[in-house]
Formats: sequence, C-alpha cells, structure tokens
Amino acid sequence: MFTANTTLMLVATFLPFLGALVLLLVPKGQRKVFEYGSLAVMIVSFLLSVPFWFGYDRASDAVQWFHAWTWIPSLGVKFAVGMDGISLLLWLLTTFIGPIAIACSFSAIQERHKEYYLWMLVLQTAMLGVFITQDMFLFYLFWEVMLVPMYFLIAIWGGPQRLYAAIKLFLYTLAGSVLMLVAILAIYFLQHKTTGVYDFSLASFQAMAPIIAQQSKTFQILMALAFFIGFAIKVPMFPFHTWLPDAHVQAPTAGSVILAAILLKMGTYGFVRFLLPILPGATKELMPYFLTLALIGIIYGALVAMIQKDMKKLVAYSSVSHLGMCMLGLFALNPYGIKGGLLQMINHGISTSGLFLAVGIVYERRHTRMIADFGGLSKSMPVYATIFMIMTMSSLGLPLLNGFIGEGVILMGAFQAFPWAAVVATLGIILGAAYLLWMYQRVMFGPITPVNEKMEDLNLREVLYFAPLVIVAFWIGMYPKPIMDVMDAPVRKLVTQVNPDFYKAESLAAQQAAAARVGMRGMEAPEAQETPLAMTHGGGH
Amino acid sequence: MTGFAQGLLDALLQDAHLIVPQLFLITVATLMLWPGDLFVSRTEKHRWASVTLVVLGVTAWLVARVDNGLGFGRMFQMDGLTRGFQLLCILGAAGAVALSQRVLNGLKQQTVEYYALILFSLAGMLFLCGASDLISVYFSLELMAISIYILVAYLRDWKTSVEAGLKYFLLGAFSSGILVYGISLLYGAAGGTTTNLADLGQALALVPKADSLLVFGGVLMVLVGMSFKVAAVPFHMWSPDAYEGAPTPITAFMATAPKAAALAAFLRVFGTGFHSLFTIWVLPLSYIAAASMILGNVAAVRQVSMKRLLAYSSIAHVGYMLLGVLSADPVAGAQAVWLYMAIYVVMNFGAFAVVIYLQGQGEGERIEDFRGLGRKHPVLGFAMMIFLLSLAGIPPLLGFFGKFYLFKLAIEQGHVTLTVIALLTSAISAYYYLGVVAQMYFKEPTEGEAPALGGLPAFIVGVACFLILVGTAFGPWLLDWAGKVALG
Repeated sequence: MFTANTTLMLVATFLPFLGALVLLLVPKGQRKVFEYGSLAVMIVSFLLSVPFWFGYDRASDAVQWFHAWTWIPSLGVKFAVGMDGISLLLWLLTTFIGPIAIACSFSAIQERHKEYYLWMLVLQTAMLGVFITQDMFLFYLFWEVMLVPMYFLIAIWGGPQRLYAAIKLFLYTLAGSVLMLVAILAIYFLQHKTTGVYDFSLASFQAMAPIIAQQSKTFQILMALAFFIGFAIKVPMFPFHTWLPDAHVQAPTAGSVILAAILLKMGTYGFVRFLLPILPGATKELMPYFLTLALIGIIYGALVAMIQKDMKKLVAYSSVSHLGMCMLGLFALNPYGIKGGLLQMINHGISTSGLFLAVGIVYERRHTRMIADFGGLSKSMPVYATIFMIMTMSSLGLPLLNGFIGEGVILMGAFQAFPWAAVVATLGIILGAAYLLWMYQRVMFGPITPVNEKMEDLNLREVLYFAPLVIVAFWIGMYPKPIMDVMDAPVRKLVTQVNPDFYKAESLAAQQAAAARVGMRGMEAPEAQETPLAMTHGGGH
Repeated sequence: MTGFAQGLLDALLQDAHLIVPQLFLITVATLMLWPGDLFVSRTEKHRWASVTLVVLGVTAWLVARVDNGLGFGRMFQMDGLTRGFQLLCILGAAGAVALSQRVLNGLKQQTVEYYALILFSLAGMLFLCGASDLISVYFSLELMAISIYILVAYLRDWKTSVEAGLKYFLLGAFSSGILVYGISLLYGAAGGTTTNLADLGQALALVPKADSLLVFGGVLMVLVGMSFKVAAVPFHMWSPDAYEGAPTPITAFMATAPKAAALAAFLRVFGTGFHSLFTIWVLPLSYIAAASMILGNVAAVRQVSMKRLLAYSSIAHVGYMLLGVLSADPVAGAQAVWLYMAIYVVMNFGAFAVVIYLQGQGEGERIEDFRGLGRKHPVLGFAMMIFLLSLAGIPPLLGFFGKFYLFKLAIEQGHVTLTVIALLTSAISAYYYLGVVAQMYFKEPTEGEAPALGGLPAFIVGVACFLILVGTAFGPWLLDWAGKVALG
C-alpha cells in the first residue's frame, strides 16, 4: 500500500509539524487530546517510515528517493531531499524514538501541556528534516531551527537551573553553526569561482573536494576547523562538551532522551556527511588533534562519570565518553571504523535513551536522582531492575547486546588505523563498565529504606515504551547484519572519497596474501606499509 | 535679470517632476499647519492621523510613478535605489503614525504639528535618498534631522523627552559641523569647482600625492558625519538616550525611516560617489562596522530597558548593513542593504508595536515588563517571539534570510574577518533577544486580564509576523525586488 518514495518521505517528515498545526487549534485544557494526539502522530510518522527500511536498495551507494525542487534559483538553493543508508538509519532512529519520547512525558509533564507537545512535534520535524536534506542551505535551516524547540523544552519544563542550561545549549550550538556557515559560504564561492555556477547542493559540495585540495593549506585547515568546531560542539567532543551535562541534567526526561538519541547524532552525522567527504585532506592533516580530543573525551567522560552523585549527570558524562568512541571509529577512516562509529551512534541512541528513561522513572516517583538516596530497588521494583540491567549492559557493551557489536567493530577499525588509540579506547570501555555497574549496584542492591520500599514498579505504559528499546538492543546485539548491510555501500563510497588509499592498500594486501598462498617464493611480494591481512571491507557479512 | 530668473524657473520646473512626492509632502504639511488646523477642533486632532496616512499612501503612489532621471544641476537623482529606499522611509513613517495613536490619545497629546513634523522629516528623507551632491546630501540631512529633534522632544512636559531631544540636537549639530567641514575640505582638494558626487569622485582620484592628506581628512570627516546619522560606533552615544527619551512611536520611526535614508546616502556617497577612493575609506569603515557590531551587541546584553535594548540592537544592525556598503561591487551592496533594511523595518515595527501595547497597559518599558506575556496573551507573545528570533537571525525566519544574503555578499567581497565577527556577535545577540523570550515564557504573568491589542497595531503585528514567518519561502521574489532597487 505504502511504497517508499519521495512523497511518503516528506509526509513522514512533515507529519509531526502538521500535527502541531492541527493541535494548535485545540483549546488549552484538553490534556488528553495533546498527549494521545501527539503520540498518534508520532506513531503514524514511524509507521510511514518503516517502508523505507524495506524499500532501500542496499546495493547502491546513491542518494535514494532523491528529488530537488527549485527554490531560489539565483542563489542555487534547491529544496532537495533524499537519503542514503547513513541518513536512512538516523532518520529511522528519529521516527523510532519520537513516540517513546512522547509516551514517557505523560506523567512527567504536569503543566503547560499544549505548548510542550507542540514543541515536541516541531522538534521532531526539524530533526527529521536534517537527515533528509540534500542541500546545504536547507540543511543549515533545519540544523538551526531545531534549537528553538529544544530551548523551550529545557527552559520551560526543565530543572531548577533550566534557563541557564537552555541558553548555554543555544549559544554554544549557535556559535558553532555560524562558523560552519562561513565555511559553507566560502566553499560556495570557491565553487562559483572554479565552475561558474552557484549551487548549494550537497553533491556539488562533495564534488568540490579535489578542487579544495588544490587550495592553500591555510584555507583548507580553516575550513576544516570551522566545520569541526560546529560539529564538535554538537557531538559534543572534549573540550566543547560543557553544555551537555547542564542541558541533560536540567532537561525533562523526554528532552534528555531526544538530546542523547538524536541531537548529539547530528554532530557525528555532520562529520560523516560534510567534513570527511568535503575536506578529506585537511581532516587527515588535523587527524592527530581530532584523535587526541576523541581519546581525551573517552577517558575524561568516563572518569568524570565515575565520581558523579547524580544519576542523570552520570549518564550525561557517559555520553561524552561514548560519543568519543563514535568519533574514534569515524576518524579511523576505514570501513570498520566508520561502520562501527555509525552503528554505535544508533546503539547510543538506544541504550542512553533507555538509561535516561530509567532515571526519569525513579525521578518521577521520588523527585531525586541522587544515587545515595536509593538502594535495594531491585526488591521493590523487579521489572524496573531487569530493564535497567539490560540498558546498563547494552551501554557498557556486554556480548549479545548492541553496545558490544558497536564497540567491537570500532576497535577493529581503530586498531587497523592507529593501534595505540585502540588500546587507550579499550581502557575507556573498562572504565565504562566500572561506573555503570557501580551505579547499578548502589541503586539496585544493598539495604532498602522504607521510602524506597514503597516505590511502585513499572506500569504498563512504562513497560510499553521500554519494550521497543529492549527488543532493538537484543536485535542489534544478536543479528546486526541487516543494519550493516544498509550502511555498506554508502560507507564504501565515503571511504573512497576520504581515504582512497585504503582500498589500494587493501587490494595490495590481497595480492600479497595470494602470492604467499600460492607460494611463489621466487617472486617478491608487493611491498605495503602497515597493511592488515585479511581485513576486508564489509564487516558483518 | 528677468531673463536669468526666467531661465532659472524654467530649469527648476523642468526637473520638478523628479521631486513631485517631496513637493506634495511639503505642500500638504504646510497646509495642514495652516489653515487646515483651524478647522479641526481641539478634541478632534486625532483625525490628522488618518489624513497623514492617506497622504503617505498618495506619496508612495507618487514615488512609484516618478520617472528615473537626474536633475537640479545633478543634485538629485531618481533611480531604483532612490525609489526603493524612499518607499522604505514612507513605510516607516506610516508605521510610526499608526503606532502613535494609542500613545498620543493616552497622553492627550494629539496635535497637528506632530504629523506635520513627520511629513517634513519624511520629505527630507525622500530628498536624502536621491541626493547626488554633497550639498544636497547636507541639506536633506538637516531637513530630516531638525524635524526629528523636535519630535524626540515632543513630550515637552517630560524631562527625559526634552533631555533626549537636546542631547540629540547638540550631538547632531556637532556632527553636521564635521560633515560640512569634510565637504569643504573635499571641495577644496578637488579644485574648488564641484561638490557633485560623480565629479568629485573623479577629481579626487586625480589629486596629487602632496594633497592626499586633504582628501583623506575630508573623506574621513564625511564618514564621521554620516556615521553619526546612522548611529554607528563610536558615534552612537546619542542614540540610546534619544531612543529611550523619545515617545515610543518616534523611537520606532527613528530606528527605521531615517536609518534607511541615511544608509541610502551612505550607499550613494561611498558606494557610488567615492568608489574611486575605496582604498581610503574601506579600512576606517571596516573598523566602524566591526565596532558597531561588537559594541552594539555586547552593550545590549546588559540593558534593562527594552527601548535601550532595541537601540543598541539597532546599532548592531547598522554595523551589519555597513558590510553591504563596504562591498566593492556597489550594485550588489545596494541590493543586500536594501533587502536587509526592508526586513529590518518589518521586524522592528512588529517589536515596537508590542512594546507600545505594553506601555498602554501602564507597564513600563523594562524588559521585566514582558514577563508572562506569552501566557497572558499567547498570540501576541508568539508574535513577539518571532520578531525577536528573527532579529537574532534564527532560520527560517526572514531576518535570517536578510543576514544570510548580506553575509554571503561580505564573504564574496573578501571581508571574511568582518563576517566572522558579524556572525559571532549575532550569536551574542541571540542571548539578549532570548532573554526577552525567557521573560515572556518562563516567568509568571502579572495579575489581571490582558486587553485586546486594538485595530491598527494588531494589523501591523499580524502582517509583520506573517511576513517574517513565510518570507524565506518567497526568497526569489524578495531578491527580484532587491535587484530592481539596485539596478532599476
């Protein structure tokens, strides 16, 4: 009935916004209408997005369901949309998290319901828009517009320091993205100078890579830094991460979920989509610094998480660490690393959302998130303890769960590219296990206080919104192949764009191996530096 | 002797068609003062507002019909640039008149002089937009400014209003002196034969090196004089006080119409006239632009008065627009500046309409007075939020489109450092604009029912909000218009 095509993609993307317009007409007092109305909109939007999973042509690395409408011809701005495997996965993650974020708000949001659900719906469309756009101007539009609803969600329904946290989030991201705008415009004019046309389309920007490579080194480095800062703030990478703990801790649960699951992914997505393919030379030039920051993020985030007394802050800092891990994978610039990074983006979206939801549950019941206030919850809340356990294990990378696959593939890629970095990152994983398990132990086991004894276990609604996360966590953990397949072709294309030497070295290695097997001792095997053996592309096949 | 007079009259009449709108304005305003006012009783003075609005409509119609041409000994030029900015000035005046009603009725200060002064200053602006000779620039600037000095001090029983008027007058007179002195230096340097912009530009480019200091001094003084008029840093000191003291509709007027006219003059004097001297003024003007963006935005952060906040923000916006003047390609510069100015007029009137509404509620004009507006009066709060976000340049609102187009040009022209400053300071501006949004949405509202906005202001708010929301989608049309202004 519904086949995946451009129209359906736009409908699924803009449905939440249209829903918001309709709900705008409903009078303020109708709490149930807003709750169930927006939930219904989100679920329909998700259902409409499902055909894309099946309709996606996994063999092709092209942008699929592409369409471009003329918008501002004199500037070369088009309303261009379409998705490749990488955008598809994040787009699906967004439609998937949407209903969960709404469902977890029913009891958490006790005032100004109308505004809340409207902002959530607007935010959803803005986020979905970022992933389908194929035009830099349009991308910048969605990228910025997303900030406004997020600002309101934190500033109205957040904790005591909400205003500070909201404005900090807003200004940090805005400062980063205006620098990015300068870089976009600079490349836009460079393009005009060399090709004579004004074109904002993403494809033409990526096609600029060889021309940019001929420019002066300073130009390239500055461009790369402008993009880097814009995206690194969003990810956030150390040392641009300071807005994150504030925003996470102050935001309402759904805000934290969306922040962790989707908003942070915008930064990593930006790296994959823009920085790496457009400026491969400068990226490699700056790689030692980028890599160092990613590693510092992994270790620093984990260490800071370990000493947190507030559960939410702990999960927030664990995000810094996990996102550092994603960045490490992406920076490896080989298929394993990038695929691992992308997969870990999804995994982080699943498991960290789960953890934030879990923290939200106890916060709603006790109005505290201090680890010290809890203990022995597994006695009073067995179902909760089980789900919390699954999410914790998924986050720390236990085999059979999603985190293990993601981290494993990242480490394989990182080891290929820079072994020492992989070693440092492994330390981060160990620390991750330590702080998560330690938190779990302090909250769930030990003596129970009378207040905690009276805490109610999960109700049906809560179980229902956890269930999809748990299912997906197991699915990715046990059978990640479908997801790997979706990103296979685009990642291959990306690696060709950013690190073409990789495939050359790889085929060299294959020859070498073949030579060795045949045992032609008289012939010199071709020389290759640091080429891993038998590491072929396409993990998970 | 009569032959000479006859010749002069013929010459004047021959070119009169270029300034029909101005002549119409001056005639009508004079007739309004006398004998028109004799026929309106003391309690009926508010009727002059409707008359003024009709007059403004007719003026706009006349402006649209005037043919292109150069007249009065090449002192006045009618072209797309003139017409485009003239229409913005008229829009600004109409907005000010529309917003004045509640304030003036409340204070029982309706007089014919108020409207006549607006029309006189508008006539000055219309002249200024097309002035193509330094002398005509000076005259029209004075006609515009003197009327506004009086309007600022219009509430003569209020100490702040009088103080603001006096301050504005003194500094304005001072800056005019500098401007005239600069003009005389340039006149001398060019050989004492012309003050016409085009001729002056050519003559000054040929001045021998020994006299280059004279040219430099002259250009710099003209720059300073004109920077005073647009309130660019460091010649901005008068503006926050004048903004704060003036009746709020006049503040809205000052923030839009005279700025549009003065920027048109800026474009014509520096962009076209002194284009050959680009290397002389590009650096000082860059510093002025950068200082305006930085100081305007940083100072706005600490304001508690909404009118002062908007004053500092308008200093910053002028800084952005000077980026367009700095363009080595004057046509593209004019296009971007006009587009930005047009958008700025719309955003500003929207915001001032809300400020005036709150003043009508007996609230002061402090930012604090916006508390809870978003909850007490959701539609108005939403509109104000849109205006503020648009002023901050958040996409997809129209303010972003204007900024984008301007900054795009600046980067194209190689002003990358300035553009980075502009963008980073506009991120700072988000801080104080959001500060007001925070008051509106996150603070508890004051007690009491919120009365309706009332006809004209509601119309202004509604139209402005609609335009800002959907404007970017109609980007091609906007660019077309701006292109017509720059090239027509």
